[in-house]
Amino acid sequence: MNARFPPRDRIERRVVGILGLLVLVLTLASVAVGYAPFDIPAAAGDLLAGRATLPALVLWELRLPRALLGGLVGFSLGLTGAAMQGYLRNPLADPGILGLSSAAALGAVLVFYGGFAASFSLALPLGGIAGAALAALALNLVAARGGTTLGLILAGVALSSLAGALTALALNLSPNPYAALEIVFWLMGSLADRSMNHVWLCLPLMAAGWALMLSTGRALDALTLGEDTAASLGFHLVSVRLRLVTGAALAVGSGVAVSGAIGFVGLVVPHLVRPLVGARPGAGLWPSGLAGAALVLAADLGVRLLATRPELKLGVVTALVGAPFLIVLLLRQRGRGA
Amino acid sequence: MARRRACPALAMAAWLGFPAAGWAAEAPAHPVRVVSMNLCADELVLRLADREQVAAVTALADDPRGSTVAREATGLTVTRGLSEEIVALRPDLVVAGAFTTRTTVGLLKRIGFPLLELGVPNDFDGVRAQIRTVAAALGQDARGAAMVAAFDARLAEVVAAGKPLRALVMRPNAFTVAPGSLGDAILRAAGLVNVAAELGRDRFGQVPLEAAAFAEADLLILDEGEPGHPSLADALLHHPVFDALRRRGRTVSIPNRLWTCPGPQVADVVARLAAAARGRNAP
Amino acid sequence: MSLAAESVDIRLGGRAVLTDVTLALEPGRFVGLVGPNGAGKTTLLRTLAGLVPPRRGRVILDGTPLLDLSRDARAKRIAVLFQGAGAGWPMRVRDLVALGRLPHRRAFGGLDASDHAAIARAMARTDTAHFAERLEPTLSSGERMRVLLARALAVEAAWLLADEPITALDPAHQLDAMTLLRRVALAGTGVVAILHDLALAARFCDRIVVLGAGRLVDDGDPDILTDRRLAETFGITVRRGVAPDGTPYILPWHRSDPPPEDIDAALPQRS
Repeated sequence: MNARFPPRDRIERRVVGILGLLVLVLTLASVAVGYAPFDIPAAAGDLLAGRATLPALVLWELRLPRALLGGLVGFSLGLTGAAMQGYLRNPLADPGILGLSSAAALGAVLVFYGGFAASFSLALPLGGIAGAALAALALNLVAARGGTTLGLILAGVALSSLAGALTALALNLSPNPYAALEIVFWLMGSLADRSMNHVWLCLPLMAAGWALMLSTGRALDALTLGEDTAASLGFHLVSVRLRLVTGAALAVGSGVAVSGAIGFVGLVVPHLVRPLVGARPGAGLWPSGLAGAALVLAADLGVRLLATRPELKLGVVTALVGAPFLIVLLLRQRGRGA
Repeated sequence: MARRRACPALAMAAWLGFPAAGWAAEAPAHPVRVVSMNLCADELVLRLADREQVAAVTALADDPRGSTVAREATGLTVTRGLSEEIVALRPDLVVAGAFTTRTTVGLLKRIGFPLLELGVPNDFDGVRAQIRTVAAALGQDARGAAMVAAFDARLAEVVAAGKPLRALVMRPNAFTVAPGSLGDAILRAAGLVNVAAELGRDRFGQVPLEAAAFAEADLLILDEGEPGHPSLADALLHHPVFDALRRRGRTVSIPNRLWTCPGPQVADVVARLAAAARGRNAP
Repeated sequence: MSLAAESVDIRLGGRAVLTDVTLALEPGRFVGLVGPNGAGKTTLLRTLAGLVPPRRGRVILDGTPLLDLSRDARAKRIAVLFQGAGAGWPMRVRDLVALGRLPHRRAFGGLDASDHAAIARAMARTDTAHFAERLEPTLSSGERMRVLLARALAVEAAWLLADEPITALDPAHQLDAMTLLRRVALAGTGVVAILHDLALAARFCDRIVVLGAGRLVDDGDPDILTDRRLAETFGITVRRGVAPDGTPYILPWHRSDPPPEDIDAALPQRS
């Protein structure tokens, strides 16, 4: 029997292994690529030996944080996209499209430009998380009222426009003359010139968010057949929803707070992963996270290798890939549904 | 602090009621309704003109974070550089920057308001010339000459660094000073060598942080804003890489407002840099 | 083994949906739950599955109140098949059936040999094994119904509750599905199915439970579907007959409330 049906778990493990390897390679490439050439192995040696040389400093405070944040933020976006699509049974769900990212950006902007982040550094990710959580709750209300796919997407469009407008307003009201120009960072996202502080700031909150979302894998599988069936299979839907909303807010909110809103990753990645894991939403969580990490790392390599100055924002690259993808999805959706 | 803004309704009244009042009337010996439309123009106008001559300055002038004439600007009418505001003030001299509020300047030019446009000087001679030009336009040539003399005297006091240290300027958003600019002239006057010439800058003059770290600058000149109103642009100058260099005593901070405009205060910048360079040389 | 509702009251959105429903079910029997639209059939099914807590009264599974059981324990013992529960994603048939094993899986464990055996049994019983590798969107309605039934059977629960399992099927597949449910009951499972087709219900079920306006109005073998019961609760009259093998059947014919001429007028006159 088992021979006739190759166990899905093994396929899933293989997909996770390959994607994990890809993420590792891209992370190393991200560390290797930069704007000033230096002997990276020697710098790594210095770093491990505790010698505070300049190359070690650049490796530790510029190259590594950039690579790590690319992976972390990408994993968060990919995982959140997969979890949201699975939970809402909606192939268009994505933290960017549904306004989670822009709401997180708004929260982070209010905290940062209000000066709260200077006195209490954790305020920055917490601001992002608060913004994302509010957006997630609002969407849940829409979804709970029996919102259709279209209704949910429209609610997301409204939410992200509102959050974007409020972000612009907050930045324009800031007395700092540079603030108004920085909206591009918050709405398009970038990993340039981040530091290890940003990694430490978002990592624990993000990891907690991942754990919450990953814990819903089987419930998402069960939800494939609808909420009643999932409940009859022993899943506590209120707990599932709570874990997903909290997890998404933690992961996306803390990510956006340090990198700005990078769009479309959560939309594209689950669709690429789905055929590899037999379309099981639960089985797609880890692979989607890893593929999201790979996508953001690759996009971030791209903006550095393209050699435009100033550097392209990451959201530009992901939108170039993601927006056509969204159009195709919408067309296919229309053909199948209404 | 009380600000009086020119109101648009007034602008219309002025426009309809006194169509020729601004420019066709018999011009007095020196202008008495001077409107400045650029922060750098504000600084020169407020230092050179009688207070009664000044009709309005920019909204930036009385902000001590960016302005060196905040005290002098307190209580004056401010504008945001909108055409209506300027016309309503019926100026007999408008001093504008060569790169700011271009739409308004174009309109004022077409109407025929007396207009003085200030360029961005590339060296100290340019600074001196600009001071004299503004002073002449204001009818205050003597003050202009005195300001230039004081500027030269301040520069003459500067004891340049003993040996030519390598210096790199990092302004918010990682902008540096390009070779051939006034900032470059300031570095040279302080006895420093501008490393930016060796680095791969982009066309906007931004330096990648990595390149800045590896520039082997003896002195990293951080052009820092006042704390309290954060921006990503300013936060960049507090990146841990710079903090590490700061701990090694390789940085000197110069407040933003001293750099912003090519006024006489650049002599202070030269003096500060030279002092920092001597301090760095000493041990 | 027993599953029983004791004086259950359910209110949803401030409206009484079920009032004082008492019902004891036994294993090995195929119960048809019938009643007009809005009578509370689906709510009763959800209540029996432990998905809706009663406002008054309780549901008892083998002597234990259902709400005292853990979700997993309940899910292992009561399988539910809901209407219109198509898959949201293009999953393989085999993976869909495997969802029935979710209540049995241990934390972080995959499917083990007993799971695979249960899945194979469920697919064999529903005759779905030969398209195990097909994707859900490529199935016909009849095939999809069998797959969803296989999913419910894969739980291998003592109780199988099905909400309108045959409504969307063509007559041949309706007969197949009813036969299958009957066989499941004969194998020892207690089966409750919400049915609208009174003819099939009367023919295949061991026992008929009639709900009307939130109350249990009748409960017994198919003979309880008397003309009076059908007129009072369903508002219809039926034609009755006897099949060549001696089995009686009923066929809904007229509304009992508006005068029968209405229907006659709408139908082509035969002379």
